[in-house]
Amino acid sequence: MSDTVVTDPTSITIEVVYRGIFQKTLAQRICRSVVLAARKRGHTGTAFGRYGDSPERNGVPAKYFAVVAVNDLELEASMAKYEPSVVDIAVAVDDTLVKGVESWAWYGRQPIWKPVHQNGAVLVTSEKTADEVLAQTDAAERPYTLGIVPGLASFAGLWVYKDDHTDYRVLGALAKVVPQWVRIDDVKELIREQTKDEGAVASAQFGFDATVLRPIDVGEGTSGHEVLQFEKPGWTTMRPGVIVDARKPGERNPYYKKYGARTLRPVVNFDTCIKCTMCWLDCPDECFEVTPEGHYEVVYEACIGCGICAQVCPVKDCIVMVDELRFEDNDDKWQMWKSDHAGYNAWFEQKTGIPVDPNASAAAGGDGAVAGGEE
Amino acid sequence: MAVEVKEPISDVETEQLATGCEAIAEAIRLADVDVMAAYPIRPYDGVMQAAAKLIANGKMDVEYIVADGEHSQFEIVKHACAAGSRVFVGSSGVGWFYAFEAIAVTAGLRLPVVAICGNRALDDPGAFGCEHNDALAVRDLGWLLCWAETAQESLDFALMAWRVGEDKRVSLPVAIGLDGAFLTHSQQIVKIPTQAAVTSFLPPFDLGDRLLHPDNPITIAPQVDQDWLMEIRRQSDNAMRQALTAITEAHADFKRLFGRGGDDPFLDEYMTDDAEIVFFGQGTLSLPMKVAIRRLRKQGHKVGLVRLKWFRPFPTEAIVKSLSRFKAVGVIDRDYSFGSPYYAGVLYHELRSALYSVQNRPTVVGFIAALGGREIEQPMAVEIFEKTMAAANGELASGDVCHWIGVRD
Amino acid sequence: MAVDTALPQIKGVKDVPYDELFVSGHRTCQGCESALVMRHMVKASGPRTIVLGSTGCMYVANTTYYTTPWVVPWMHTQLGSSGSAALGTAAGLKVLMRKGKIKNEKINVIAFCGDGGGADMGLGAISATLTHKEYDCLILLYDNESYANTDIQLSSQTPYGAVTTFSPSGTKKRLMHTRWKKNVPGMLAAGHPESRYIAAGCAAYAVDLMNKIRRALELGGPTFVHTLDPCPKGWDYHPAYSQELGHLAVETGIWPLYEVLDGVCSLTGPTRQIAEGRKKRKPVYEYLKRQGRFAHFADEDVEHFQSEVDKMWNEWLVPGVIPFTVRAKDQAILKIDTKPLHEQKTA
Repeated sequence: MSDTVVTDPTSITIEVVYRGIFQKTLAQRICRSVVLAARKRGHTGTAFGRYGDSPERNGVPAKYFAVVAVNDLELEASMAKYEPSVVDIAVAVDDTLVKGVESWAWYGRQPIWKPVHQNGAVLVTSEKTADEVLAQTDAAERPYTLGIVPGLASFAGLWVYKDDHTDYRVLGALAKVVPQWVRIDDVKELIREQTKDEGAVASAQFGFDATVLRPIDVGEGTSGHEVLQFEKPGWTTMRPGVIVDARKPGERNPYYKKYGARTLRPVVNFDTCIKCTMCWLDCPDECFEVTPEGHYEVVYEACIGCGICAQVCPVKDCIVMVDELRFEDNDDKWQMWKSDHAGYNAWFEQKTGIPVDPNASAAAGGDGAVAGGEE
Repeated sequence: MAVEVKEPISDVETEQLATGCEAIAEAIRLADVDVMAAYPIRPYDGVMQAAAKLIANGKMDVEYIVADGEHSQFEIVKHACAAGSRVFVGSSGVGWFYAFEAIAVTAGLRLPVVAICGNRALDDPGAFGCEHNDALAVRDLGWLLCWAETAQESLDFALMAWRVGEDKRVSLPVAIGLDGAFLTHSQQIVKIPTQAAVTSFLPPFDLGDRLLHPDNPITIAPQVDQDWLMEIRRQSDNAMRQALTAITEAHADFKRLFGRGGDDPFLDEYMTDDAEIVFFGQGTLSLPMKVAIRRLRKQGHKVGLVRLKWFRPFPTEAIVKSLSRFKAVGVIDRDYSFGSPYYAGVLYHELRSALYSVQNRPTVVGFIAALGGREIEQPMAVEIFEKTMAAANGELASGDVCHWIGVRD
Repeated sequence: MAVDTALPQIKGVKDVPYDELFVSGHRTCQGCESALVMRHMVKASGPRTIVLGSTGCMYVANTTYYTTPWVVPWMHTQLGSSGSAALGTAAGLKVLMRKGKIKNEKINVIAFCGDGGGADMGLGAISATLTHKEYDCLILLYDNESYANTDIQLSSQTPYGAVTTFSPSGTKKRLMHTRWKKNVPGMLAAGHPESRYIAAGCAAYAVDLMNKIRRALELGGPTFVHTLDPCPKGWDYHPAYSQELGHLAVETGIWPLYEVLDGVCSLTGPTRQIAEGRKKRKPVYEYLKRQGRFAHFADEDVEHFQSEVDKMWNEWLVPGVIPFTVRAKDQAILKIDTKPLHEQKTA
């Protein structure tokens, strides 16, 4: 019981934080199944996506919700809402989301645990350890339970869904932390009905068994993330005619930075860069800057990790896409390459697992390299 | 298309025998309008025909754009206005409705477009005659809305429209209602003011820091959501409240410079000093009603008329002050609001609501009359009088509040 | 402020202007090619530009209140109003300059629309604007082949058979959408003889696209550029492949690159090489197989798609431009030059 989350006796609210479009179907399936599984023991519920996320954008953090209650009367308090202000459990189906949720300009960058109440839970699908994930999560303001649901982030497209059982594992993990609302037997029965696939049923049991829970105390986590919060003006201070000032020449957007959309970041081997400009030219987010030497460095505050630069780069492994959780900051790296060439190259090899010298054999240690994209 | 001004324009007040449309074309010339967009539909488009003649004869220099439909027509002037141009546009009936998306966003953008609505019944079935429902459809959107009674007042309201709409406290579009046929197509003697007088009444259009120009880099109307829209609506609400002041000030200046416009900026009263009952309405139906009033007074009836000049903003304070002097008010609607609270017209319901909190409020009785451009003949006026009188004497059943006048059973 | 507003042709990637006039922080998808088109568009036009944006991704995603990615002045216009917005703004500037109410200078006016706003709802207004030769404005149609902003619904630019939320593939109907894509730039070029410049481009060929935008603005009058923009969201492919999909669309001959300048049509880029026989047209399957929106295709669907594209190349008077040909015996009468386009004399 110590593992389980204490909730209001009359209802529970679960939010799934996900990558827009890539995980839309996944988040929807999880939240619908929570309601349907709870229904098996007579509860009622509602599932809905956050209206403000629609239309969703690839990679931009979005939310889906499931609310389960003992009866329709208790459910009413959770109806006709865009977004619950307090939730019992937040599920992040991509571990890079623990770096913060930045959904649109005035939303700012919000810690993954922001809506989770005291002693609630944050479940993260990840292949990393709880400590590794915690190291990238904003320092806790309230105690909560961090749960790691084993598995890679499941990304799919809008039309072709990749059924890798992530939703079943997450449902199993939910049954572990809130058995009073979602029973593992109900989950398995539901999945059996829906899929007639014992493998899927087994995945739910695996999520239940293999999810690692770690209690988080106040202050645990990192304080290294940028604070991005805005005060909304009122009708007397807003400019009439729905007008905002244009960006200044040479300025990047200080309000909506959007790097929170990034799951992979491009790392550049300046030694092999041939200064062809293609990465800069084809970047839809204007995130490259030319250096005095004519190299192109990534401005990580603006990069959303689409991977186009790595694809259009004519030099093999000159731009490598690397798991975002392997980085602590958005600092400009070309300066490091200038001031500490050997240090930068060691860093490059450690992050990417790829030798700076194309003729050398694979560097030791690093293993972070990820293909620019998969089919 | 542009035509260079060739001959100098003589600057003495002249008189013309002109339709309401032709009178407004003169106002367009005097206001130095920059861009106008035309599309044919009767009865409004007489103004576009008259303006085209003025341009062709070198009397004014305006970008005159013949659009491919009313939606484009209103969008074109909306954007010309955002670029800093003084603009003019208009339509009628279903054409006005075809433009409705553009009409809605123009108010949302707070752009002071001036449009005339040559009032016309809505299809189906097709009909050319006057009904007010086309122009009334903008009443909730943030458009100022006035109704002219004469060709002279059409010209005068047009000048007022640019002055008030472009007022920085207001910055909202203005629609001028012109009764189809009676005003748009019949000619009256109209005084054409001097350029000097108009120039001193109407300052140059200045959007200030809202101008869309590379020297003033701004983004206009980015996407918002529930976190912002209430504040934006509240701004428009406040602008509409400011319009009452702006109209009052403009009206005072107008009287001083042109010696016209009546005592009150919002209401035109006729034989009301000792009146017990009054008729209340908009546009040209006041004319046959005034004839009736003179006859009825010969018979000893104390009856008068109050004509509403501005429907938006609705001058509640002025109306309460005026109408609470009378025993009964007969509201004549040249429009309909099917299924509305009392199955009466739009004006009736607005007035009834305005008078609700008045202690000694008059009895209000409604009349649906003159739809589709049907004339108000004297027997109809008498019927309206008798019903209103009965209401004043408490002889009408409480539910008996709206009467169709001159309709065949 | 003294700004050089001349827009010379860009000689190569190294010659592309460095200054950004459309910057980061737009809320578009990872790998959004339309956002790249916006960036190239204002890079090409320079700072003395006014942009009018009709409803669609490049409005809703690009400019969310409280902030904006635009350095140049920008204003929203309605879904079907790109033509009217361009016309009204150009007319306003023209008369204010003529009357001396603002400084007389060259200001570029560009109105953009998506395929929904341009090829469907706004086509009439665009057509009207292209006849008003006295006003200088460019209309850019960014075509991601669906109403991508509202949830990927079918538009007249959605390719044959593609899955959208209005044309799902079901157990009874494999293909809900069986209309062929409307030929917008060809239709506009054929129907508006006084528009000096109409072109089809793609951001995967950035310099070609920027030069087309510059040519349109330099020639003046009302002009039109149509870009095909791979859309990772609606087409369902990994965002990293946006450029590759753009290349494939052109190399398979599905999206020919061309321009019609003062009534003279010339193919550009790889399209020209294909027409000259210097480059082999790739099978459309290479393009279709990369996108989830075609994942339901059966062999016969691919074959039909290929045959339609072949017809465009083998039977049309001008591939991708003029969707008909002339009877052989009339070619002489009409002095139709049957030589490859690149060998025909150009003005």
